[in-house]
Amino acid sequence: MTAVARTTVEASAVPSAPSRDRGGRRLPRILHPVAWWVWALALATAVSRTNNPLLLFLVLAVLGYVVTARRTEAPWARGFKYYLYLALTVVAIRVVFRAVFATGTTPRDHFLFSLPHIPTPDWYAGIQIGGPVSLEAVLSAATDGLRLACMLCCIGAANTLANPKRALRVLPGALYELGVAVTVAISVAPQLVQSVQRVARARKLRAGRTQGLKALRGIVVPVLEDALERSLRLAAAMDSRGYGRAGTATRRSRRATGALMLLGMCGLCTGAYGLLDATAPTFLGLPAMGLGTALCVAGLRLGGRRITRTTYRPDPWRLPEWAVAGSGVVSAVLLFSNLGYDPAQLNPTFYPLTWPDLPLVPTAAILLAGTAGFLAPPPSPVQRADAP
Amino acid sequence: MIRSRLLAVVVRAAVALGLTAAALGATAGPAAAAPQPMGRCTTTSGVVLAVDFSDWGGPIYRSCGTTPTTGYELLNQGGWRTTGTGHDGPAFICRIGYSGYKNGKQYPTPAQDDCVLTPPASAYWSYWHADPGDNDWKYSQLGAMLYKPKPGSVDLWTFGGTNIEGTEGRPTVTPDQLRAHNTRPQGDVGKPPSSDKASALPPDVDTGPAPEQRTSEPPTSAAPEPKKPKPSKSAHRKPTPTPSPAAGATANPSAVAAPSSGTKVVDAAPAADARHDSGSIVPVVTGAALVLAIGGAAAFVARRRRRTE
Repeated sequence: MTAVARTTVEASAVPSAPSRDRGGRRLPRILHPVAWWVWALALATAVSRTNNPLLLFLVLAVLGYVVTARRTEAPWARGFKYYLYLALTVVAIRVVFRAVFATGTTPRDHFLFSLPHIPTPDWYAGIQIGGPVSLEAVLSAATDGLRLACMLCCIGAANTLANPKRALRVLPGALYELGVAVTVAISVAPQLVQSVQRVARARKLRAGRTQGLKALRGIVVPVLEDALERSLRLAAAMDSRGYGRAGTATRRSRRATGALMLLGMCGLCTGAYGLLDATAPTFLGLPAMGLGTALCVAGLRLGGRRITRTTYRPDPWRLPEWAVAGSGVVSAVLLFSNLGYDPAQLNPTFYPLTWPDLPLVPTAAILLAGTAGFLAPPPSPVQRADAP
Repeated sequence: MIRSRLLAVVVRAAVALGLTAAALGATAGPAAAAPQPMGRCTTTSGVVLAVDFSDWGGPIYRSCGTTPTTGYELLNQGGWRTTGTGHDGPAFICRIGYSGYKNGKQYPTPAQDDCVLTPPASAYWSYWHADPGDNDWKYSQLGAMLYKPKPGSVDLWTFGGTNIEGTEGRPTVTPDQLRAHNTRPQGDVGKPPSSDKASALPPDVDTGPAPEQRTSEPPTSAAPEPKKPKPSKSAHRKPTPTPSPAAGATANPSAVAAPSSGTKVVDAAPAADARHDSGSIVPVVTGAALVLAIGGAAAFVARRRRRTE
């Protein structure tokens, strides 16, 4: 936590490990959370473009590397493997659904196995349940699932790498009330885990029973109490810095803010619908989107005008932040630019079975996003602190 | 001990797999459909398949297939090939190609539609039917894999957008411009007629099983149904001679004048499938090596971090 503690750890670690581990003797510090979020969201956008299993596995590898190299020791930074489990579940569900709700096999398909077929009545003829399952169907379902899994892992990487409580600071002032609730909510799970560990350790020290149903009662009550207390402490700390405070806003200005935000959100929804539905009239697309954004910004400005808050330990935005966010954005732009490769290579088909291609530019783009593992400053070596 | 048990498990699995394969072969055998030259389709036998490439400056191709068949099989024989979407599989027709048109290139091209998700309602292949004697297009209520065309009917695939009211995106040609008008199969006298089952009937009996009754029986069994005013209507129509059928007799593509619309109707002769290249394994190996290298680096970093802690 303190500078003294850091330097002592550093000093003890340096003789055992060469300095390359420190990322070229750079000072360890925490990257701005928004930089990680921009990087991860850009990579997720890039992933949404491709269905190529080779590129998707490459994205997973890059995410794994960056998370391993640059995560801190905070409680939320240990969760990446759970996102991987979730990703595996997504792929499995996609394959099972494709096999059960058969989408039809062609005579050219490679037959794998057959599920019992449940006949459906004529008026339900569009849906088949069970039947033969082909290799092509399994492969394309797995790739389809893998794409969603990769996007999930991108979000997981952002959650792992960025400090959620620090990310809250970037929220516009008008959203603080929402932000406080979100922060308290997302910090509950890691705090519960920590509380369980602490209570279990304390019981062990007192030679109490740590197993069985009786021990459970002795654990649950202190854990709940502990978690609740910490959440309240966090809320109090945030309140003391001006978060979630109504400020000196009058009733009229609050109403105006609400109306502006509501109209703006409606505009954003209409704009999104107009952009996504190709048959919608054109004025519903970009104009509605722009109007909605303008209204929202005005509402946030008006709402945030009277709220003041103080910052303890501000997060700087320096060159590494630009580099990390930029590497993600450039990779997304490259995958959407169609420059130097055939767009068909991004979405290979398995009907008929074909080896997927590995287009050069998208591969380079994903590897470029992986350079965030070097561009970001190394995290503080050992920091078992659990304070925000 | 363990090895023998393992062996038993493997053998059992193999037997099960073989049995399921055999079961599939026995039950799900596809209807024996075959591509035919256009002249083999008559007013009562065979199905005319028409695909409208006018969105890409091409003609309307029409070809002939035997019944019983499904809309999907009709569209995947004699040089025709389709591609499904990544999300829904081959059953959703996303691209159509014919080996006689631009070397079998499938449309829409990957640049126009990536065929990963369901195409938008403003640009997709819509599927239309016209029953024998019917001069109006019906939007297909079933997918290509479930629909079984009647003998003497016309299937049309046209690219574009449709709306719910059914006012937009209707085909620009009429079924009469596409259907076969000859009452007897023409050309290739040595071969049996295109639909051997249907040909046993007197020419003016409407034999088509309704698409809703999804039976695998040959259409002959459905013949005695004392139904509908349709047979009389189609019988009425049939004798009217039309000048076009002669064009269909030749096997090579030949233009048929399409009176009302600007697009040409061209007969597509059964052709060999476009050559398929299954690609090379080198990109896969390269990609796997890259993934392994990055994964190895991650493992190395993880070990090093654990040691310094």
